[in-house]
Amino acid sequence: MNKFSQFLVALAAGLSVFVAAWFFIHAGHRGSVPAHAEVSPAVAAATVKPGGAPVDSAKCILPTDYMRAHHMQVLDKWRKDSVRKGNRTFVNPEGAHFDKSLNTCLGCHGSNPMFCFMCHEYANVKPTCWNCHLSPMEVSQ
Amino acid sequence: MKKVLKPLIAVIVLALIPWVGITYGKLDYLFAIVIPYAAAAILVLGMLFRLVDWIRRPVPFNIPTTCGQEQSLDWIKTNPLECPSNPFMAAMRVLSEVFLFRSLFRNTRAELYGGPKLVYGSYKWLWLGGLAFHWSMLIIVIRHARFFLDTLPLPIELLETADRFLDVTVPAFYITDAIALAAITFLVLRRLSDEKMRILSLSTDYFPLFLFGAIAVIGISMRYVTKVNVMPVKALAITLAHFGFDAPEPIGVLFYIHLFLVCVLLAYIPFSKLVHMGGIFLSPTRNLPNNSRAKRHKNPWNPDIKFRTYAEYEDEFREKMKKAGLPVEKQ
Repeated sequence: MNKFSQFLVALAAGLSVFVAAWFFIHAGHRGSVPAHAEVSPAVAAATVKPGGAPVDSAKCILPTDYMRAHHMQVLDKWRKDSVRKGNRTFVNPEGAHFDKSLNTCLGCHGSNPMFCFMCHEYANVKPTCWNCHLSPMEVSQ
Repeated sequence: MKKVLKPLIAVIVLALIPWVGITYGKLDYLFAIVIPYAAAAILVLGMLFRLVDWIRRPVPFNIPTTCGQEQSLDWIKTNPLECPSNPFMAAMRVLSEVFLFRSLFRNTRAELYGGPKLVYGSYKWLWLGGLAFHWSMLIIVIRHARFFLDTLPLPIELLETADRFLDVTVPAFYITDAIALAAITFLVLRRLSDEKMRILSLSTDYFPLFLFGAIAVIGISMRYVTKVNVMPVKALAITLAHFGFDAPEPIGVLFYIHLFLVCVLLAYIPFSKLVHMGGIFLSPTRNLPNNSRAKRHKNPWNPDIKFRTYAEYEDEFREKMKKAGLPVEKQ
Protein backbone atom coordinates (compact mmCIF):
# COMPACT_ATOMS: atom_id res chain seq x y z
CA MET A 1 0.00 0.00 0.00
CA ASN A 2 1.60 3.27 -0.97
CA LYS A 3 1.38 6.51 0.89
CA PHE A 4 -1.36 8.08 -1.16
CA SER A 5 -3.74 5.15 -0.90
CA GLN A 6 -3.04 5.01 2.80
CA PHE A 7 -3.95 8.67 3.05
CA LEU A 8 -7.15 7.95 1.13
CA VAL A 9 -8.00 5.10 3.48
CA ALA A 10 -7.40 7.33 6.50
CA LEU A 11 -9.55 10.05 4.95
CA ALA A 12 -12.33 7.60 4.10
CA ALA A 13 -12.19 6.14 7.60
CA GLY A 14 -12.38 9.56 9.18
CA LEU A 15 -15.23 10.61 6.92
CA SER A 16 -17.14 7.41 7.55
CA VAL A 17 -16.82 7.96 11.27
CA PHE A 18 -18.18 11.47 10.96
CA VAL A 19 -21.02 10.35 8.73
CA ALA A 20 -21.79 7.51 11.12
CA ALA A 21 -21.67 9.91 14.05
CA TRP A 22 -24.00 12.25 12.19
CA PHE A 23 -26.58 9.54 11.57
CA PHE A 24 -26.06 8.31 15.07
CA ILE A 25 -26.88 11.72 16.45
CA HIS A 26 -29.80 12.33 14.16
CA ALA A 27 -31.21 8.91 14.81
CA GLY A 28 -31.92 10.25 18.27
CA HIS A 29 -34.50 12.68 16.97
CA ARG A 30 -36.71 9.93 15.75
CA GLY A 31 -36.93 8.93 19.35
CA SER A 32 -39.06 11.96 20.10
CA VAL A 33 -42.07 9.97 18.87
CA PRO A 34 -41.95 6.37 20.09
CA ALA A 35 -41.17 3.87 17.40
CA HIS A 36 -44.43 1.98 17.70
CA ALA A 37 -46.34 5.20 17.08
CA GLU A 38 -44.54 5.63 13.78
CA VAL A 39 -45.12 2.13 12.49
CA SER A 40 -48.81 2.11 13.34
CA PRO A 41 -50.50 3.32 10.11
CA ALA A 42 -53.57 4.73 11.84
CA VAL A 43 -51.52 6.94 14.10
CA ALA A 44 -49.20 7.88 11.25
CA ALA A 45 -52.18 9.01 9.19
CA ALA A 46 -53.49 11.01 12.11
CA THR A 47 -50.11 12.71 12.44
CA VAL A 48 -50.13 13.70 8.79
CA LYS A 49 -53.73 14.91 8.83
CA PRO A 50 -54.31 17.01 11.93
CA GLY A 51 -57.42 15.69 13.55
CA GLY A 52 -59.16 18.40 15.47
CA ALA A 53 -58.26 20.86 18.13
CA PRO A 54 -55.48 20.24 20.62
CA VAL A 55 -56.69 18.49 23.68
CA ASP A 56 -56.23 20.16 27.01
CA SER A 57 -55.27 17.00 28.76
CA ALA A 58 -54.60 16.38 32.39
CA LYS A 59 -52.32 13.55 31.34
CA CYS A 60 -48.85 13.99 29.95
CA ILE A 61 -48.28 13.34 26.26
CA LEU A 62 -46.02 10.35 26.94
CA PRO A 63 -45.08 8.27 29.99
CA THR A 64 -43.20 10.09 32.74
CA ASP A 65 -40.09 7.92 32.50
CA TYR A 66 -39.84 8.56 28.79
CA MET A 67 -40.41 12.29 29.24
CA ARG A 68 -37.75 12.58 31.94
CA ALA A 69 -35.09 11.23 29.61
CA HIS A 70 -36.33 12.47 26.24
CA HIS A 71 -38.27 15.73 26.77
CA MET A 72 -35.55 17.81 25.12
CA GLN A 73 -35.71 15.72 21.98
CA VAL A 74 -39.51 15.87 21.92
CA LEU A 75 -39.39 19.65 22.18
CA ASP A 76 -36.68 19.88 19.53
CA LYS A 77 -38.73 17.74 17.16
CA TRP A 78 -41.84 19.78 17.91
CA ARG A 79 -40.01 22.97 17.10
CA LYS A 80 -38.81 21.62 13.76
CA ASP A 81 -42.23 20.19 12.90
CA SER A 82 -44.27 23.22 13.84
CA VAL A 83 -41.96 26.02 12.78
CA ARG A 84 -40.40 24.52 9.67
CA LYS A 85 -43.00 22.05 8.43
CA GLY A 86 -46.19 23.61 9.74
CA ASN A 87 -47.24 20.36 11.34
CA ARG A 88 -48.56 21.51 14.69
CA THR A 89 -50.44 18.48 15.96
CA PHE A 90 -48.87 15.67 17.93
CA VAL A 91 -50.72 12.39 18.34
CA ASN A 92 -49.52 10.17 21.12
CA PRO A 93 -49.74 6.35 21.05
CA GLU A 94 -53.07 6.46 22.85
CA GLY A 95 -54.45 8.62 20.06
CA ALA A 96 -54.74 11.85 22.05
CA HIS A 97 -54.02 15.07 20.15
CA PHE A 98 -51.74 17.81 21.40
CA ASP A 99 -50.62 21.16 20.08
CA LYS A 100 -46.89 21.03 19.33
CA SER A 101 -46.09 23.99 21.48
CA LEU A 102 -44.17 24.71 24.63
CA ASN A 103 -47.45 26.06 25.97
CA THR A 104 -48.89 22.54 25.88
CA CYS A 105 -46.27 21.54 28.44
CA LEU A 106 -46.52 24.71 30.44
CA GLY A 107 -50.30 24.29 30.60
CA CYS A 108 -49.67 21.86 33.43
CA HIS A 109 -46.00 22.32 34.28
CA GLY A 110 -46.06 26.11 34.27
CA SER A 111 -47.90 26.14 37.58
CA ASN A 112 -44.60 25.58 39.33
CA PRO A 113 -42.24 28.37 38.24
CA MET A 114 -39.27 26.22 39.24
CA PHE A 115 -40.44 23.13 37.35
CA CYS A 116 -37.82 23.39 34.60
CA PHE A 117 -35.09 24.89 36.69
CA MET A 118 -34.99 22.47 39.59
CA CYS A 119 -33.57 19.64 37.52
CA HIS A 120 -31.60 21.75 35.06
CA GLU A 121 -29.81 23.55 37.86
CA TYR A 122 -29.17 20.28 39.67
CA ALA A 123 -27.75 18.57 36.58
CA ASN A 124 -25.85 21.66 35.40
CA VAL A 125 -27.78 21.76 32.14
CA LYS A 126 -28.19 25.03 30.29
CA PRO A 127 -31.00 24.64 27.76
CA THR A 128 -31.39 27.33 25.11
CA CYS A 129 -35.21 27.41 25.36
CA TRP A 130 -35.29 30.66 27.28
CA ASN A 131 -33.15 32.51 24.76
CA CYS A 132 -36.43 33.05 22.86
CA HIS A 133 -39.26 31.77 25.05
CA LEU A 134 -40.48 33.29 28.26
CA SER A 135 -39.55 30.91 31.01
CA PRO A 136 -42.08 29.92 33.67
CA MET A 137 -40.06 31.98 36.12
CA GLU A 138 -40.58 35.13 34.06
CA VAL A 139 -44.31 34.66 33.47
CA SER A 140 -46.35 36.33 36.13
CA GLN A 141 -48.39 33.66 37.85
CA MET B 1 -6.18 -11.91 14.27
CA LYS B 2 -6.18 -13.54 17.68
CA LYS B 3 -4.45 -10.46 19.04
CA VAL B 4 -7.40 -8.33 17.90
CA LEU B 5 -10.28 -10.67 18.66
CA LYS B 6 -9.21 -11.54 22.18
CA PRO B 7 -9.37 -7.97 23.54
CA LEU B 8 -12.53 -7.32 21.52
CA ILE B 9 -14.25 -10.31 23.09
CA ALA B 10 -12.87 -9.28 26.49
CA VAL B 11 -14.49 -5.85 26.17
CA ILE B 12 -17.79 -7.37 25.03
CA VAL B 13 -17.78 -9.80 27.95
CA LEU B 14 -16.92 -6.98 30.35
CA ALA B 15 -19.85 -4.99 28.96
CA LEU B 16 -22.18 -7.94 29.43
CA ILE B 17 -21.25 -8.39 33.11
CA PRO B 18 -23.15 -5.35 34.41
CA TRP B 19 -25.98 -6.01 31.96
CA VAL B 20 -26.51 -9.47 33.41
CA GLY B 21 -25.89 -8.25 36.94
CA ILE B 22 -28.40 -5.41 36.76
CA THR B 23 -31.07 -7.11 34.66
CA TYR B 24 -31.10 -10.49 36.34
CA GLY B 25 -29.21 -10.07 39.60
CA LYS B 26 -30.49 -6.66 40.79
CA LEU B 27 -26.93 -5.88 41.82
CA ASP B 28 -27.39 -2.10 41.53
CA TYR B 29 -25.56 -1.43 44.77
CA LEU B 30 -22.56 -3.53 43.76
CA PHE B 31 -22.15 -1.82 40.40
CA ALA B 32 -23.03 1.69 41.56
CA ILE B 33 -21.18 1.92 44.87
CA VAL B 34 -18.90 -1.02 45.63
CA ILE B 35 -17.14 -1.45 42.29
CA PRO B 36 -16.49 2.30 41.67
CA TYR B 37 -14.90 2.69 45.11
CA ALA B 38 -12.88 -0.48 44.63
CA ALA B 39 -11.71 0.69 41.22
CA ALA B 40 -10.77 4.12 42.55
CA ALA B 41 -8.87 2.51 45.42
CA ILE B 42 -7.01 0.21 43.02
CA LEU B 43 -6.17 3.19 40.82
CA VAL B 44 -4.88 5.38 43.65
CA LEU B 45 -2.97 2.66 45.49
CA GLY B 46 -1.67 1.12 42.28
CA MET B 47 -0.43 4.44 40.95
CA LEU B 48 1.12 5.31 44.32
CA PHE B 49 2.86 1.95 44.41
CA ARG B 50 4.13 2.38 40.86
CA LEU B 51 5.28 5.97 41.29
CA VAL B 52 6.90 5.45 44.69
CA ASP B 53 8.66 2.41 43.29
CA TRP B 54 9.96 4.42 40.35
CA ILE B 55 10.92 7.42 42.45
CA ARG B 56 12.97 5.20 44.77
CA ARG B 57 14.90 3.65 41.89
CA PRO B 58 18.43 5.06 41.78
CA VAL B 59 19.53 6.86 38.64
CA PRO B 60 23.19 5.83 38.29
CA PHE B 61 24.00 7.90 35.25
CA ASN B 62 23.00 11.23 33.82
CA ILE B 63 21.26 9.92 30.72
CA PRO B 64 19.00 12.57 29.15
CA THR B 65 18.20 12.06 25.49
CA THR B 66 19.20 15.11 23.55
CA CYS B 67 18.62 16.32 20.05
CA GLY B 68 20.07 19.79 20.12
CA GLN B 69 23.25 21.69 20.86
CA GLU B 70 24.29 21.39 24.46
CA GLN B 71 25.18 24.47 26.45
CA SER B 72 28.81 25.13 25.71
CA LEU B 73 30.94 28.18 24.99
CA ASP B 74 29.11 31.49 24.92
CA TRP B 75 29.47 31.95 21.18
CA ILE B 76 27.96 28.56 20.34
CA LYS B 77 24.22 28.78 19.97
CA THR B 78 22.51 26.37 22.35
CA ASN B 79 19.14 24.72 22.08
CA PRO B 80 17.85 24.88 25.65
CA LEU B 81 14.63 22.96 25.00
CA GLU B 82 16.13 20.05 23.09
CA CYS B 83 19.16 19.89 25.34
CA PRO B 84 18.15 21.42 28.66
CA SER B 85 21.03 22.51 30.84
CA ASN B 86 19.04 23.32 33.96
CA PRO B 87 16.12 21.68 35.78
CA PHE B 88 13.70 24.39 34.68
CA MET B 89 14.26 23.78 30.99
CA ALA B 90 14.15 20.03 31.63
CA ALA B 91 10.75 20.53 33.24
CA MET B 92 9.68 22.61 30.24
CA ARG B 93 10.75 19.78 27.98
CA VAL B 94 8.75 17.24 29.99
CA LEU B 95 5.69 19.50 29.93
CA SER B 96 5.97 20.12 26.21
CA GLU B 97 6.11 16.37 25.77
CA VAL B 98 3.09 15.90 28.01
CA PHE B 99 0.99 18.61 26.39
CA LEU B 100 2.18 18.54 22.77
CA PHE B 101 3.78 15.10 22.26
CA ARG B 102 6.91 16.60 20.73
CA SER B 103 8.70 13.27 20.37
CA LEU B 104 5.79 11.91 18.33
CA PHE B 105 6.14 14.90 16.04
CA ARG B 106 9.43 13.36 14.94
CA ASN B 107 7.74 10.07 14.21
CA THR B 108 8.95 8.43 11.03
CA ARG B 109 7.78 5.44 9.11
CA ALA B 110 9.82 2.94 7.14
CA GLU B 111 8.43 1.73 3.86
CA LEU B 112 9.61 -0.35 0.94
CA TYR B 113 8.78 2.35 -1.53
CA GLY B 114 8.56 0.71 -4.94
CA GLY B 115 11.62 -1.47 -4.74
CA PRO B 116 14.22 -2.97 -2.50
CA LYS B 117 15.13 0.37 -1.05
CA LEU B 118 13.84 1.05 2.44
CA VAL B 119 12.61 4.62 2.67
CA TYR B 120 12.02 6.53 5.88
CA GLY B 121 9.48 9.31 5.78
CA SER B 122 7.91 11.69 8.22
CA TYR B 123 4.60 10.41 9.50
CA LYS B 124 2.73 12.98 11.52
CA TRP B 125 -0.64 11.24 11.56
CA LEU B 126 0.17 9.35 14.72
CA TRP B 127 1.09 12.62 16.40
CA LEU B 128 -2.14 14.25 15.25
CA GLY B 129 -4.30 11.25 16.11
CA GLY B 130 -2.69 10.80 19.52
CA LEU B 131 -2.98 14.48 20.31
CA ALA B 132 -6.63 14.57 19.23
CA PHE B 133 -7.40 11.46 21.28
CA HIS B 134 -5.66 12.55 24.48
CA TRP B 135 -6.94 16.11 24.45
CA SER B 136 -10.53 15.22 23.64
CA MET B 137 -10.44 12.52 26.33
CA LEU B 138 -9.11 15.05 28.84
CA ILE B 139 -11.84 17.53 27.95
CA ILE B 140 -14.49 14.81 28.14
CA VAL B 141 -13.26 13.77 31.60
CA ILE B 142 -13.23 17.38 32.78
CA ARG B 143 -16.71 17.87 31.37
CA HIS B 144 -17.96 15.04 33.57
CA ALA B 145 -17.38 17.37 36.52
CA ARG B 146 -20.90 18.61 35.89
CA PHE B 147 -22.11 15.36 37.45
CA PHE B 148 -19.77 15.37 40.40
CA LEU B 149 -19.94 19.02 41.47
CA ASP B 150 -22.94 20.92 42.78
CA THR B 151 -22.01 24.10 40.92
CA LEU B 152 -19.62 24.19 38.01
CA PRO B 153 -16.52 26.37 38.36
CA LEU B 154 -16.27 29.00 35.63
CA PRO B 155 -13.33 27.46 33.74
CA ILE B 156 -15.13 24.15 33.32
CA GLU B 157 -18.28 25.95 32.27
CA LEU B 158 -16.33 27.90 29.66
CA LEU B 159 -14.73 24.71 28.41
CA GLU B 160 -18.12 23.07 28.08
CA THR B 161 -19.55 26.09 26.29
CA ALA B 162 -16.65 26.08 23.86
CA ASP B 163 -17.11 22.36 23.29
CA ARG B 164 -20.79 22.76 22.37
CA PHE B 165 -20.44 26.01 20.48
CA LEU B 166 -21.58 24.48 17.17
CA ASP B 167 -25.02 24.50 18.81
CA VAL B 168 -26.43 21.71 16.68
CA THR B 169 -28.73 18.92 17.89
CA VAL B 170 -30.52 18.66 21.21
CA PRO B 171 -28.87 17.82 23.61
CA ALA B 172 -26.10 20.05 22.32
CA PHE B 173 -23.50 18.22 20.26
CA TYR B 174 -20.01 18.18 21.78
CA ILE B 175 -17.16 18.51 19.29
CA THR B 176 -14.84 16.39 21.45
CA ASP B 177 -17.25 13.44 21.23
CA ALA B 178 -16.77 13.28 17.48
CA ILE B 179 -13.02 13.94 17.69
CA ALA B 180 -12.53 11.21 20.28
CA LEU B 181 -14.45 8.67 18.20
CA ALA B 182 -12.60 9.60 15.03
CA ALA B 183 -9.23 9.47 16.80
CA ILE B 184 -9.92 6.06 18.36
CA THR B 185 -10.99 4.74 14.97
CA PHE B 186 -7.81 6.07 13.42
CA LEU B 187 -5.61 4.63 16.17
CA VAL B 188 -7.17 1.19 15.70
CA LEU B 189 -6.95 1.36 11.91
CA ARG B 190 -3.35 2.53 12.12
CA ARG B 191 -2.44 -0.71 13.85
CA LEU B 192 -4.55 -2.83 11.53
CA SER B 193 -3.71 -1.26 8.16
CA ASP B 194 0.05 -1.82 8.16
CA GLU B 195 1.77 -5.23 8.16
CA LYS B 196 4.60 -4.06 10.38
CA MET B 197 2.20 -2.53 12.86
CA ARG B 198 0.14 -5.70 12.91
CA ILE B 199 3.20 -7.69 13.92
CA LEU B 200 4.26 -5.16 16.54
CA SER B 201 0.83 -4.70 18.08
CA LEU B 202 -0.12 -6.83 21.03
CA SER B 203 -3.51 -7.57 22.46
CA THR B 204 -2.64 -5.18 25.29
CA ASP B 205 -2.39 -2.45 22.64
CA TYR B 206 -5.85 -3.15 21.30
CA PHE B 207 -7.58 -3.70 24.62
CA PRO B 208 -7.36 -0.11 25.93
CA LEU B 209 -8.40 1.21 22.52
CA PHE B 210 -11.46 -1.03 22.43
CA LEU B 211 -12.22 -0.19 26.05
CA PHE B 212 -12.03 3.55 25.37
CA GLY B 213 -14.08 3.05 22.23
CA ALA B 214 -16.81 1.16 24.08
CA ILE B 215 -16.91 3.73 26.87
CA ALA B 216 -17.13 6.59 24.38
CA VAL B 217 -19.76 4.94 22.20
CA ILE B 218 -21.97 4.08 25.19
CA GLY B 219 -21.52 7.54 26.68
CA ILE B 220 -22.39 9.24 23.41
CA SER B 221 -25.32 6.92 22.91
CA MET B 222 -26.63 7.76 26.38
CA ARG B 223 -26.43 11.43 25.58
CA TYR B 224 -27.98 11.49 22.14
CA VAL B 225 -29.83 8.26 21.39
CA THR B 226 -30.83 5.75 24.04
CA LYS B 227 -31.29 8.31 26.72
CA VAL B 228 -31.02 7.76 30.43
CA ASN B 229 -32.75 9.83 33.08
CA VAL B 230 -29.94 12.03 34.31
CA MET B 231 -31.33 12.86 37.76
CA PRO B 232 -30.41 9.58 39.53
CA VAL B 233 -27.09 9.61 37.65
CA LYS B 234 -26.29 13.01 39.11
CA ALA B 235 -27.43 11.86 42.55
CA LEU B 236 -25.15 8.83 42.32
CA ALA B 237 -22.22 10.94 41.15
CA ILE B 238 -22.72 13.37 44.03
CA THR B 239 -22.90 10.43 46.43
CA LEU B 240 -19.64 9.05 45.08
CA ALA B 241 -17.98 12.47 45.16
CA HIS B 242 -18.95 12.86 48.83
CA PHE B 243 -17.81 9.31 49.65
CA GLY B 244 -21.37 8.36 50.52
CA PHE B 245 -22.81 4.88 50.52
CA ASP B 246 -26.50 5.56 49.75
CA ALA B 247 -28.10 3.10 47.36
CA PRO B 248 -28.91 4.76 44.02
CA GLU B 249 -32.35 5.10 42.47
CA PRO B 250 -32.96 2.89 39.44
CA ILE B 251 -30.88 3.93 36.42
CA GLY B 252 -30.86 2.49 32.91
CA VAL B 253 -28.60 -0.52 32.42
CA LEU B 254 -26.62 1.30 29.75
CA PHE B 255 -25.34 3.69 32.39
CA TYR B 256 -24.11 0.78 34.47
CA ILE B 257 -22.24 -0.65 31.48
CA HIS B 258 -20.60 2.76 30.97
CA LEU B 259 -19.71 3.03 34.64
CA PHE B 260 -18.43 -0.54 34.88
CA LEU B 261 -16.18 -0.14 31.84
CA VAL B 262 -14.83 3.09 33.32
CA CYS B 263 -14.14 1.21 36.57
CA VAL B 264 -12.36 -1.51 34.62
CA LEU B 265 -10.29 1.18 32.90
CA LEU B 266 -9.39 2.87 36.20
CA ALA B 267 -8.35 -0.40 37.78
CA TYR B 268 -6.46 -1.39 34.62
CA ILE B 269 -4.38 1.79 34.43
CA PRO B 270 -1.69 0.98 37.06
CA PHE B 271 -1.01 -2.46 35.60
CA SER B 272 -0.81 -1.66 31.92
CA LYS B 273 0.77 0.58 29.32
CA LEU B 274 -1.68 3.26 30.44
CA VAL B 275 0.54 3.91 33.44
CA HIS B 276 2.58 6.08 31.08
CA MET B 277 0.40 8.93 32.37
CA GLY B 278 2.52 8.87 35.52
CA GLY B 279 5.68 7.33 34.17
CA ILE B 280 6.37 10.07 31.65
CA PHE B 281 7.25 12.41 34.50
CA LEU B 282 9.75 9.96 35.98
CA SER B 283 11.63 8.99 32.85
CA PRO B 284 15.31 9.81 33.51
CA THR B 285 16.01 10.17 29.81
CA ARG B 286 13.63 13.08 29.80
CA ASN B 287 13.51 14.69 33.22
CA LEU B 288 17.24 15.11 33.81
CA PRO B 289 19.04 18.25 32.66
CA ASN B 290 22.00 17.58 30.40
CA ASN B 291 24.59 19.22 32.67
CA SER B 292 26.98 16.34 33.25
CA ARG B 293 29.97 18.53 32.32
CA ALA B 294 29.02 21.35 34.67
CA LYS B 295 27.83 19.25 37.60
CA ARG B 296 29.01 15.93 38.87
CA HIS B 297 26.23 13.34 38.80
CA LYS B 298 26.71 11.16 41.85
CA ASN B 299 25.91 7.52 41.38
CA PRO B 300 23.74 6.45 44.32
CA TRP B 301 25.08 2.93 43.86
CA ASN B 302 28.59 4.02 44.74
CA PRO B 303 29.54 2.10 47.89
CA ASP B 304 30.40 4.11 50.98
CA ILE B 305 34.17 3.58 50.89
CA LYS B 306 36.09 4.05 54.16
CA PHE B 307 39.23 6.00 53.32
CA ARG B 308 42.29 5.85 55.54
CA THR B 309 44.73 8.72 55.26
CA TYR B 310 48.46 8.40 55.71
CA ALA B 311 48.26 10.59 58.81
CA GLU B 312 45.92 8.07 60.43
CA TYR B 313 48.26 5.23 59.41
CA GLU B 314 51.23 7.00 60.85
CA ASP B 315 49.34 7.76 64.08
CA GLU B 316 48.78 4.06 64.57
CA PHE B 317 52.28 2.84 63.75
CA ARG B 318 54.45 5.83 64.74
CA GLU B 319 56.23 4.18 67.62
CA LYS B 320 56.92 1.01 65.63
CA MET B 321 58.16 3.05 62.67
CA LYS B 322 60.48 5.03 64.90
CA LYS B 323 61.88 1.81 66.38
CA ALA B 324 62.47 0.41 62.92
CA GLY B 325 64.19 3.62 61.92
CA LEU B 326 61.62 4.65 59.34
CA PRO B 327 61.12 8.36 58.73
CA VAL B 328 57.92 9.84 60.18
CA GLU B 329 56.29 13.13 59.28
CA LYS B 330 55.10 14.00 62.76
CA GLN B 331 57.31 13.43 65.72
